Amino acid sequence: MEKYFDASYIWESIPLLIPFLKMTFMVAGLSVLFGTLLGFILTVAKTGKSKFARKLATGYTTIIRCTPSIVLLFLVYYGLPAIGDRFGLNLNNIDTAVFVIITFTLQFAAAMSEVMRSAFQSIDNGQFEAAVSVGLSNSQAYRRIVFPQAFVVALPNFGNSLLAVLQEGSLAYTIGLIDVVGKANLIIAGNYNAHALEIFLALAIIYWILSIAIEQFFLKLEQVFSKGKQGLKTA
Amino acid sequence: MSEGLNYKFLVDTFFIALSGVPITLFITVVALLFALPLGFLLALTRINRIPVLHRFAQVYVSFVRGTPIIIQIFIVYSSVPLLLSSLFTKFNIGMNVYDVNPIWYAFIVFSFNTTAVLIEVFRSALSTVNRGQLEAAQSVGLTDVQAYRRIIIPQALVVAMPNICTATVNLIKATSLGYAMSLQEITLKAKVAANVGYNYVEAYIDIFLVYLLLCSAVEYAFKLYEKRLSKYKPSVV
Repeated sequence: MEKYFDASYIWESIPLLIPFLKMTFMVAGLSVLFGTLLGFILTVAKTGKSKFARKLATGYTTIIRCTPSIVLLFLVYYGLPAIGDRFGLNLNNIDTAVFVIITFTLQFAAAMSEVMRSAFQSIDNGQFEAAVSVGLSNSQAYRRIVFPQAFVVALPNFGNSLLAVLQEGSLAYTIGLIDVVGKANLIIAGNYNAHALEIFLALAIIYWILSIAIEQFFLKLEQVFSKGKQGLKTA
Repeated sequence: MSEGLNYKFLVDTFFIALSGVPITLFITVVALLFALPLGFLLALTRINRIPVLHRFAQVYVSFVRGTPIIIQIFIVYSSVPLLLSSLFTKFNIGMNVYDVNPIWYAFIVFSFNTTAVLIEVFRSALSTVNRGQLEAAQSVGLTDVQAYRRIIIPQALVVAMPNICTATVNLIKATSLGYAMSLQEITLKAKVAANVGYNYVEAYIDIFLVYLLLCSAVEYAFKLYEKRLSKYKPSVV
């Protein structure tokens, strides 16, 4: 097995890998969507009055934060079909993408609940009271006053969590999902394990560019949305 | 697999998984020992805008933050042996690359990764310390080193501690990827035990529990330490 470094493999493999970004994006996108919804429910539980719900939501966040993604991924991958078996459901033939989406939804929800909670709590209660005092209903006050402000606060953290989910998503290849990483491993196997380094470098380049693009996008978004934000100077 | 959980296996494997804890902690500690000072120094180059190093640190942080850690592992695991083997043949060292303990690669990857994380942590922590603190320290005759050691670092550390805690927990979690380097840590040990009878559900429950215990313990330890440090916290008047 001759081993040498050949940079041309990097450039040749990038076009082969790009189409598989679709799978990566789909998994990350759906996880973000469902995770945000579940995260919102958790946030409501955390900031709500019920002590039990608060404990439950906080406990959930702690547990998820202490679990490596790969362990959660396999727990879902092996655990769900086993649970399904108990109830006479056959979950063994479900697409692996579903398991990946479930895993990262669980994870993203935990991260999002913290992001949303801290954003919500950063908005002074006086804002809500002022809105109600000028005659807005509760839901109007939340929708028109509190939410737009909390959204701006949450935006950078939302971007970071999104990047994290995109990167953790690279572990999905371990349960056989063919996304960019899965494809890269297939290419390497097709080369009889030669030139693995070049193909991994190509992967790194793809992810790097993607991350920078997303980061910049969120920075721009933040600038757009924070135009109405008043800093300490005007207070 | 429909017989439910195999409880005997569950208990046995828990202790097998637990036996992987020392190696996980060992890697974590080595990576931190390496990354803490290096991260701090590189954070200083970022803050003081030292020409070349400042740019280098910026690109380095961007790369590590922009790529999944598993790909960093793949890259190190496939590039370092290449370099080593060419070094070995060049200097006629009679050593096989495949005899190198994977723990060395783990040290490299996780130090590399954690350093970048800590650069950002220290940078934000240092920028919260008022510039006047340094000037005041210098005006009473402290040298730069003294000023940093006695005035700046204690204050920055209080701010940085929660983030260092998060970084440590993330590092412990990331070592679970060591299986890609056939590193004998928690995940791989339990997984190998599960291979015999396909008891994957039990094995992963065990791994999950071990990480939960480990990370909770680390978080708790950091909380205690933070409490002790908080005496340096500037009180808001």
